[in-house]
Amino acid sequence: MQYALLIYEDETLYGPGKKGPAIQDIVSRHMAFNRELGAKRVGGSGLAATSSATTIRTTRGKHSVHDGPFAEAKEQLGGFYLIEAKDLDEAIAIAKQVPVLQDGSIEIRPVLGPG
Amino acid sequence: MSGAALERVFREASGRIVGALAARFRNLALAEDVFSEACARALEDWSAKSVPTDPAAWLYQVAARAALDGLRRRRTHARFECQLSADFDTDPADLDDEAVIPDERLRLIFICCHPAVGVDARAALTLRLVCGLSTLEIARAFLVSEATMAQRLTRAKSKIADAGVPFELPAPRFWPERLDAVLATIEIAYGKAHEDAAASGPHAHFAAEMLELTSTLVHLIPDEAEPAAVAAMVRLAEARRPARIDSRGLMVPLSEQDPQRWQRPLIDEAIGYLNRASALRPDAVRVIQAKIHAAWCSRRTLQSPPPWPQVMSLYDSLLTRRDDPIVRLNRLVAVAEVHGIEAALSELESLDGGLLRHFAPYHAVRADLLRRLGRAADARCAYDEALLRTSTHAERKWLTRQRGLVLEPQS
Repeated sequence: MQYALLIYEDETLYGPGKKGPAIQDIVSRHMAFNRELGAKRVGGSGLAATSSATTIRTTRGKHSVHDGPFAEAKEQLGGFYLIEAKDLDEAIAIAKQVPVLQDGSIEIRPVLGPG
Repeated sequence: MSGAALERVFREASGRIVGALAARFRNLALAEDVFSEACARALEDWSAKSVPTDPAAWLYQVAARAALDGLRRRRTHARFECQLSADFDTDPADLDDEAVIPDERLRLIFICCHPAVGVDARAALTLRLVCGLSTLEIARAFLVSEATMAQRLTRAKSKIADAGVPFELPAPRFWPERLDAVLATIEIAYGKAHEDAAASGPHAHFAAEMLELTSTLVHLIPDEAEPAAVAAMVRLAEARRPARIDSRGLMVPLSEQDPQRWQRPLIDEAIGYLNRASALRPDAVRVIQAKIHAAWCSRRTLQSPPPWPQVMSLYDSLLTRRDDPIVRLNRLVAVAEVHGIEAALSELESLDGGLLRHFAPYHAVRADLLRRLGRAADARCAYDEALLRTSTHAERKWLTRQRGLVLEPQS
């Protein structure tokens, strides 16, 4: 099956526009983790800070464009992995190794369609 | 065979058959559906002809065939092609020879108790699939409507299917973290059997089921203390069953039960499990709880003094590990015997009544203390509160008798 691992962290830890010193640290840890994942990594990427986000909302067929992320919260979606795992237990084991700077949450979501 | 007897056959077969089907077809909802289908077929078939010599094997074969037919029909739909794995693609012919149903109940329990399933839903799902309770019975036990429970069960099954919860037993390194959920579920399920003191109700076979499951669990996970502690607890509680109700159907409180009517072989077996658990982790919560049961079961005759001081000190150490109002309430029963009724009542009144007020034993303990202190009017009120919240027949009869023992104050 394929799973998306959605990484939620407090992005202010990475400084304004995610350009602080901590970003170097986490990027090198993600690169090491990528190498470890090998063929199990199907895709994924870090995301720019939510200050760069634009949200299109659709209400009764009408689009409206908004500045900012979909939801304001303490932790924001900061990146994701798309992985290949045998089952949820393997996905959980992999998700536990996803690097986070301090506190954070990894949401595991099965990918729809033939996995 | 009567309707009730048939229902019992279905119920007893449920865990094994649904477990085996779920393991084989990797689909809980399918396993449950085809099992119901097989039960419906049995109702028609068995009343027209006769009951097969091995009803469970009959049910399993019919259910497995229905599952295969269903899957074959669905296979025409390309989307399902990839979901059909080789293991049930190949062997429909073997089915007829299959007399033995593989015991996959432990696997089924680990699936039902996966941490990805909501806490509430785990026990409910286990009771439904492993123990064969009806949705209505589970709804009653969990104090929700049948529709709410049905929805909760359906949601849990979809979560298991959609999230890709594995149908294999977890690798041993995952067992410790997966275990607590499994043990809590077994405790809840055994609790249902224990409530039914006369073992004549619909949960009667639960107890045997739990004895077997706990011993399998200890066998599979020998290095953890708590499975052995639960195995001990279930046996100690079960050993006392013959003494829990008197000839008139009244509940007999633990301290008044005749130890000679307790089942010694079960107690001996339990002590073996407890020693094992105690050697691994003597201060684990479930190990201390099992020791409390064991303290009671060490009593040999009704003439020897009840082990109140030992029970109280075990509750004291339990409190250091788990401090909750129910542990405190249980401890007070021993406190009354060791330090006196006044002391117990004043501690009881200082407990947080918010949660306890809805709990029948709180009122029963309070009523007993008030009665023994001669506070007649208060005692009667407390008995009424207890009776209002007690559903089992034997307990109601006992409470009613106790209420009758309240003496009018001398004027």
